[in-house]
Amino acid sequence: MSAKITETIDCKGLSCPMPMMKLAKAMKGLNSNDVLEMLGTDPGTKSDLPRWCEKGGHTVLEATELDGGVFRFVIQKK
Amino acid sequence: MSSQDEEPRALSLLFKTFFSKHWPVWVGGIMLGILNILLFAVKSPWGASGGINNWGENLYDKLGIFGYEGITPVSAHYYGLLCLILVIGAFAGALLSKEFAIRIPPKGELIKGFIGGAVMALGAAIGQGCTIGSFFSGVPALSGGAIIFTIGLFVGVIVALKYLLWEMENRPGFSSGKSYTFLAVTKKSGNWQVWLGWILSGIIFVIAWFVAGVNGVLAWFIISGLLMGLICQRSRFCIVKAFRDPFMTGEADGSVGVMVGLLVTLVGFTAIKYFGIGVGDSPIRAIEMTWVYPHFWLRALIGGLIFGLGMTVAGGCAVGTLWRVGEGQVKLWMAAIGFLLLSPISRKFIAAPLVDSLPHSMKFKSYLPDYIGYAGAFLLVCLIILIWYVFVKWNERTGKFSAF
Repeated sequence: MSAKITETIDCKGLSCPMPMMKLAKAMKGLNSNDVLEMLGTDPGTKSDLPRWCEKGGHTVLEATELDGGVFRFVIQKK
Repeated sequence: MSSQDEEPRALSLLFKTFFSKHWPVWVGGIMLGILNILLFAVKSPWGASGGINNWGENLYDKLGIFGYEGITPVSAHYYGLLCLILVIGAFAGALLSKEFAIRIPPKGELIKGFIGGAVMALGAAIGQGCTIGSFFSGVPALSGGAIIFTIGLFVGVIVALKYLLWEMENRPGFSSGKSYTFLAVTKKSGNWQVWLGWILSGIIFVIAWFVAGVNGVLAWFIISGLLMGLICQRSRFCIVKAFRDPFMTGEADGSVGVMVGLLVTLVGFTAIKYFGIGVGDSPIRAIEMTWVYPHFWLRALIGGLIFGLGMTVAGGCAVGTLWRVGEGQVKLWMAAIGFLLLSPISRKFIAAPLVDSLPHSMKFKSYLPDYIGYAGAFLLVCLIILIWYVFVKWNERTGKFSAF
């Protein structure tokens, strides 16, 4: 069962710091327990995003690798 | 299970240790610090902007414009070659971990990359150095100018970050739009990247082996460049991140990694300078003043500020740009092009007349041990790093200075 996605941000093609900036801004606008989907291609996001979520108390529900070098993260806000 | 089955598994685990996940930034910091000390012991410390400048001068030499003639070719220029091999090392690191892909961002990002690179070139020309020469190597070299350059960097990063936040809020279209990714593979497929990574690394070692017969120091620079590129890519060692993230997401890991690297380098550089290691027949003063530039204080401050602006807009400092070039980030390809095109011109036509107009008291070589002794200089740098550490960790917890 997958969580209902509240918002999706597309960060494909973007490099550091744009994916994390867009993610942090989008998360700020969400309510508690809302779910954000993020699509990106910057390898840095793979380590930056889980670390940032862990420190902020958000839950990474899914971290998958799609075709074409795209990473998909599904995050639930604290 | 037989020992024959165990062996490939053990090797596979070893490979995964290095290429499955990113390394902690502090691991990268320690390794880069050690390589930097060895570079100094062998010849002179790590630097990046001089190497990229050499690329630009060679280009203008070939084109026959701006009066560049008889420029040392990249293949014989220690730092030009170090930078080039660092790109290849990062390329190899990305291939071995299946992270290589040509990533073309939206148009606005490409423009920011080029402008950021060009601004960095101007900052490096005025400040006489970049985040490596005048910070990562310069501060452990006990240079007073490097500390001022660092203050400039901080200010530049904060101002440019404000711009990026403004842009995201008011001009979101600039970093959005069509993007393309080519040659990407997944963890389960695309073993060609791993093979290519091995072949490429092997070729560089063979080149180094041949060069060693003619010039052992140059061969050492080739090996160091390969390792540095690989280490930077795997640990995502990024000096922009170290300065910027505490004010952006509040993250301190990047900063701590750079601090660890600085401390390791500080110990090695201080020993080399204090004991005159490798000084040979030259006076000890020559080694003491290595990587201490005549930029204290205004030259370093202006240069650092401009460099800080550029690297934040580009999303990579001189070395951060280079390893991301190897990883296939086309925004940073634009930054490298902007840097190499503008660097020689900035040095010759902008920095030179500007610096000439400054009085000596604003552009002299300040060697900290001359004023406070070796112990004092060592402790001062440690204290600055400690204050920086306490700040970023406190800010990570409280988020007082973070934008989000």
